[in-house]
Amino acid sequence: MYHLDGTDVLNEKYYRKTFSVCPECLNRIPAEVVEENNEIWMKKTCPDHGDYKDKLSSSAKYYKWTHYAVKDEKGNVIWQFDKDGEANPADCAPEDPRGCPYNCGLCPEHKSTCSLALIDLTNRCNFACNFCYANVEKAGYLIEPSLEEIGRIMDHFRNKPIPAVAIMFTGGEPTVRKDFPEICKMAKDRGFQEIIVATNGYGFQRKKGGAEFARKCREMGLDTLYFQFDGINDVTYEKTRGIKNLFSYKQRVIDNCREAGFDSIVLVATIATGVTDIEIGNIVQYAIDNIDIVRGITFQPVSLCGRITAEEMQDLRITNADVIKEIEKQTGGKISMENAWYPLTTIVELGRLIAFLADVEPAEFTCHPDCGFATYMAIDPKTHEMVPMMEYFDPLKVINFANRFWEKIKHKEKQPIKFFENILGDFGKTLDNGLNFLDKTQLRARFLLGALQYARKPGKLMEMFARLLANGDWESVSSFSYGTLLISSMHFQDAYNMDIERTKRCIVHFGVAMPDGSVKEVSFCTMNTLHRPEIEKLVAKKITQKVRDEFDTSVGQAREDIELETNPMEEIKVEEK
Amino acid sequence: MSSDNVEIKDGMKIRKLTELKTGAEKEYEDAMLKRVEYFKKQNVKKSGFNNLLENTLFTTFSSILDLKLNIDKAIGEENLKKVHKALDEILLFGL
Repeated sequence: MYHLDGTDVLNEKYYRKTFSVCPECLNRIPAEVVEENNEIWMKKTCPDHGDYKDKLSSSAKYYKWTHYAVKDEKGNVIWQFDKDGEANPADCAPEDPRGCPYNCGLCPEHKSTCSLALIDLTNRCNFACNFCYANVEKAGYLIEPSLEEIGRIMDHFRNKPIPAVAIMFTGGEPTVRKDFPEICKMAKDRGFQEIIVATNGYGFQRKKGGAEFARKCREMGLDTLYFQFDGINDVTYEKTRGIKNLFSYKQRVIDNCREAGFDSIVLVATIATGVTDIEIGNIVQYAIDNIDIVRGITFQPVSLCGRITAEEMQDLRITNADVIKEIEKQTGGKISMENAWYPLTTIVELGRLIAFLADVEPAEFTCHPDCGFATYMAIDPKTHEMVPMMEYFDPLKVINFANRFWEKIKHKEKQPIKFFENILGDFGKTLDNGLNFLDKTQLRARFLLGALQYARKPGKLMEMFARLLANGDWESVSSFSYGTLLISSMHFQDAYNMDIERTKRCIVHFGVAMPDGSVKEVSFCTMNTLHRPEIEKLVAKKITQKVRDEFDTSVGQAREDIELETNPMEEIKVEEK
Repeated sequence: MSSDNVEIKDGMKIRKLTELKTGAEKEYEDAMLKRVEYFKKQNVKKSGFNNLLENTLFTTFSSILDLKLNIDKAIGEENLKKVHKALDEILLFGL
């Protein structure tokens, strides 16, 4: 369990064995995770390419706090993590004898079901960021699934024993597809609760038509923009995207969404040392200034691709712990590392418990603790300042109570009361339904009372928190998120820091419609590190000249819009589309 | 963003974050309450009685929470720990 009481194990040195891959040949190799100088490092040796060492966390103390420790019979501390997913049948035969991560997916070794389904809608983009894999020109082929293929992928994720509750459209830039709103509707019709698009804002930023596009997407089912946002300075975007004067483009997205009543935007910032780390405080403040439509911020420490030297690695590597430290520094200590942050895995049991009591589909957060950290901010009704929500209640006490409660009642999930059915057969089922309803009602009341004894502040937010605990439905979660600002840091793996134990627990899965009619489900980090080139070759389409000519990627605009903007013959400025 | 809190460093605007106050507090509250009202209306369509019951319960809850916080202050930290422990045991009893 987490170290909810006492911290004696935090004085023990961290050590565990795992497997990783060689960054050069991508073969599976043994690795050790060790503590050195108050930091956590991964060390590994490839028989053909030598030694590798990479930092997993710049804070050993925090890393250990988020990991599990048990003591063996001799009293030695063993660091392990055992929150496996509840239901995850493999959907492919493991053909590669090397095992994970070569048998995606999903193979019998995978330990988590999918909570967030991803579909790459296209590899076309109006930007040409030099680090991005999704680029039609660089790839030399087009990746763009048909509506039938997209529907097939959605059905795959919705028909799992625990259906994925959320779906995110990725790319390339998904909004370059003319049928994008229709795709949102397809997802809503299939029962996905949260429809998200990872976007640089293209469809939403148009001076003419941007607000209408946002309105239409909302009507068709789009819930949230996962909005690429590197900061508030043009010079930052020039470094990250290679495009000048880009901040006004980003601001137009916010303005158009506000005009359209589209009020769920998550700012997504890739954090690289010396490039975007300086913008962290700016982004937090920007989110707070636009709190009526910004629901959260996700910081993503940059993943490293290609061949780099050990020195370059030292310069570039930034971990979740570094981001959290930087947030603390740039917010004047208001969002502190010690008090505000928890790994996503903290709420596994709480999520299961609420889903069980409310009879709703659960969202399983059984990923690895290294995947990400989060905190909620809320406005203090007295000071009118945003504070971490941990000031509203004691999170560790609530979680501890939820864990104990779930441990006692989890058998009921698989064994509902069948008292009358055993006596009366099928006729007794209705009576048993009534008994089960009454049982769950008393359990909900007990749990609500148990959790709320740890409340520290009154207010509307706590009322919504109580609604969330009692109802557990997506509407309550959604209302609660409208009263808060979620800040998270998610670090995706690359070949240098890949931990197979972590890979096996991934909850963010790509779906790809294969030519044979099947759907391949691949965990996020292995897709981008290992499988993407081979899979894309199988589903690639030829690029037409029209696609090649579509965008001027040096300015991020469609060529037809640029032609409309400037009439070269008469030198008359025409309004942008 | 207030210009008083912005400094220019190497040509970049850097926001000095001394407090996390928002200039859009009213908009924030409106957005939050609009959402709650929206779902309340949706729930009325499903079952008016259940919705009424639920809203009454949660409105009462706010008053109970105020009372609970006052009691917490009155009994002191050590006693509060004992109360929490006892309550935990009562609520987990028989499960």
